[in-house]
Amino acid sequence: MPDAASLCSHCDLPIPQGVLIEHPQPDRTLSFCCRGCLGAYLIIRGAGLEAFYRKRSWEQPGTPAGAFEASAGAESLEGCLSAEGTLTRMVLIVEGIRCASCVWLIENLVRKMAGVASARVNFATHRLRILFDGAHTTPSALFESVARLGYLPRPYTSDQQRQSAESERRGLLIRFSAAAFLSLQLMGYSWALYAGYFQGMDPQVRLLLQWLAALVATPVIFYAGAPFLKGAFRSLRLGAPNMDLLIALGVLSAFGYSLFALSSGGEVYFDSAAMIVTLILLGRLFETMARARASSAVDRLLRLRPPFARRIETAADGSRRTMEVPSARVAPGDLIAVQPGETIPLDATLEDRETEVDESLVSGESLPVLKQRGQEVLAGTMNLSYAIELRVLRDSSRSYLSRMAALVEEAQARRAPIQKQADRLCALFVPAVLCLSLATWLYWALAASDASAAWLNAISVLVVACPCALGLATPTAILVASGAAARAGILFRGGDILEAAGRVRHVCFDKTGTLTEGAPRVVELAPEGIGPLELLTTAGRIEAGSSHPLAKAICCRAAEDGIEVSSQGGQRTLPGLGVELVLEGSVHRAGNRRMMESAGIELPTASIGTLSEVHVAKDNRYLGCIFLEDSPRPEAGAVLDELRRLGIRTGLLTGDRRGVARSVAEKLGLDECSWELTPEQKALRIRGLKPQAAVMMVGDGINDAPALAEASVGCAMAGGTDIALESSDLVLTRPDLARLPLAIRIARSCLRIVRQNLFWAFSYNLVAMPLAATGHLAPIHSAIAMVASSILVLCNSLRLKSIPGGTSCSNRP
Amino acid sequence: MLKSTLILILLSLFLGLGAWLVFVWALKKGEFDDPEGPKYRMLDDDEPHHKEDAE
Repeated sequence: MPDAASLCSHCDLPIPQGVLIEHPQPDRTLSFCCRGCLGAYLIIRGAGLEAFYRKRSWEQPGTPAGAFEASAGAESLEGCLSAEGTLTRMVLIVEGIRCASCVWLIENLVRKMAGVASARVNFATHRLRILFDGAHTTPSALFESVARLGYLPRPYTSDQQRQSAESERRGLLIRFSAAAFLSLQLMGYSWALYAGYFQGMDPQVRLLLQWLAALVATPVIFYAGAPFLKGAFRSLRLGAPNMDLLIALGVLSAFGYSLFALSSGGEVYFDSAAMIVTLILLGRLFETMARARASSAVDRLLRLRPPFARRIETAADGSRRTMEVPSARVAPGDLIAVQPGETIPLDATLEDRETEVDESLVSGESLPVLKQRGQEVLAGTMNLSYAIELRVLRDSSRSYLSRMAALVEEAQARRAPIQKQADRLCALFVPAVLCLSLATWLYWALAASDASAAWLNAISVLVVACPCALGLATPTAILVASGAAARAGILFRGGDILEAAGRVRHVCFDKTGTLTEGAPRVVELAPEGIGPLELLTTAGRIEAGSSHPLAKAICCRAAEDGIEVSSQGGQRTLPGLGVELVLEGSVHRAGNRRMMESAGIELPTASIGTLSEVHVAKDNRYLGCIFLEDSPRPEAGAVLDELRRLGIRTGLLTGDRRGVARSVAEKLGLDECSWELTPEQKALRIRGLKPQAAVMMVGDGINDAPALAEASVGCAMAGGTDIALESSDLVLTRPDLARLPLAIRIARSCLRIVRQNLFWAFSYNLVAMPLAATGHLAPIHSAIAMVASSILVLCNSLRLKSIPGGTSCSNRP
Repeated sequence: MLKSTLILILLSLFLGLGAWLVFVWALKKGEFDDPEGPKYRMLDDDEPHHKEDAE
């Protein structure tokens, strides 16, 4: 329990003035910051789970926004329900879980509800699985019971793609475990055979052990190794030699030769074939683990809740009521209601009075735009001023948002899959190996006329050509690098993305919300006949309580300067103009140039360039002007400098006006600058840059999504829109640009380590192959070399652990 | 000698196979889905746990 009386007993946040809710207890009085927190406390106490407050260890106080009010209709929860016997299972992702006690509380509380058979939260993924009896409770009731506790549940719909990724991971683990278990057995037989090779052994025992080895190796190659064999077959059909083909060639030739040796009484190499499969499966397992970790973290960032709209329905008797329905069910012509601060769910026209909307995420325009009655507002923009009614223009499948989603899909379909470093090398290496193998056979068969040596040596070339180190080279580096990145709050959605990010030579930024804060800040005070503090105090008093970004910025500046501003009420907002407040008998005004002109107040100064202005007046007296600007993030300058040092060109792609774009680009020293771009044009710019260099796009808005998908690497930050997060490959989990150069550095180090690993793996081959071709390579030597090179590759990859901080690693090949 | 070696080897194969089957069964049951949870759950002593949730 928090000891300071000013902290809320439930959510641990400081209680704002004037909203204290007290709840007397026999021994003490608890204080709460809102009805929701009090409600949560009463529920928890009612269930006898007060131990939660003693046990919890929150690093961050508070509850997720909108948690207490969250509710879900039966329709919206359908996607996360599945039948299990006579019971039903529901899967929710719960936001706001911060410690083990949160899990304990949710599980115990839900379990106590009527009709619930079991409830379990996965600590790693924050997924809550509830098994319940549909006859005794409803999904909505369960959903709300979690929300009432101050956690924000969201329906978890497991789509096809996610399910197949899950089953692929599981299948890989089963294959690997089978391969590992059988290879261990095989090693036992091999040791005996090796010992026999040096010391001599009873031929009968030797034959028995060889047969056992064959028996154990067969499932390893044809069951556990099936993914490689299939991949190899596919690559043969496509005529594009890749890693799988190399692996399959080596494994099959080793296996085939060993079978032949078994019948003719030679040495067998079943262990080499099995070890190659096992180690390469281990490498693949590492890679899927790295990918799964990134995607589950991105899942948590994304809001999976389908968007809702509040439809206004008029009953036969003329009474109106609003119903929350999924946006997809709203038809053109329907009336919907949108509160201030809410996102507009569908493209629509404004039915009643004018309002201001924040279009920054859709168009890049950083200041609110005034919309008149009858004008069109777009889905994804935010309503700022009043509760409004809208007439829906298009159904959700044809809304602006959906058109963006379609553009994203198009860009993603066009983008060629990133070719991995290893596959690139294999495309050259495989034909070379085949040629060498053929040459060996020709030499021994024709020049030396020794048919059995010809086969033996030709096959040896194929076997040594397939190093396990090759299978481990990329995945281990990716696992270690993506782990190091994840600890720094950087999520790469897959190994290929890490490789691509390492090659980036050009980074394009969106402006609003990416390079800039996305909210204006006071940059200059120009008082007229009064002190600057007095101007700020007056402006703050007028603007207090307004949700307009300019008003918020002024109040914020006032608070920074130690001026107490609290809203006394009585303000009148004039959308598109400013705010009026009658105080002590005189009219105070704060607003734009037009407001002053319409009130007949004379303005002494002309406006300067790109800054936003708020003019302040008392009755007819002009008090001065406050200049504001959407200023660059504090870290932006340093980040761009660092990118330049890394040899990366930077560019600005914005939908905002020319002047604003130019001023930001000049201030931060960006190399290129384009303005007034539509989303399509942004994507086109990226496409135009791509032939010259790998391009990264950094953005957060709906209008950036097509460009993010088009770029070699799309990067979004937490706090961006869902569609931007979904179409990006690289996610920064904190809105901090400084992580971007770090991400590139990690990716470059990873790429370098991958190159070193591959270099090693292939140079091992280059040495071993001539030996094999000339018939000098004993199986025991090649086995030792194989293990040693795998260990070397592993250790080299582990060096990536210490990347953050250190700018460069020694460039040892 | 050869016979007893063969018997022992086959025995070890079957033992190993049994262990592998147990592993696969546990994997399919979802025993490895939440590697974080158990270390916290073991401290919750007040509630008798319900049937473990599959998957």
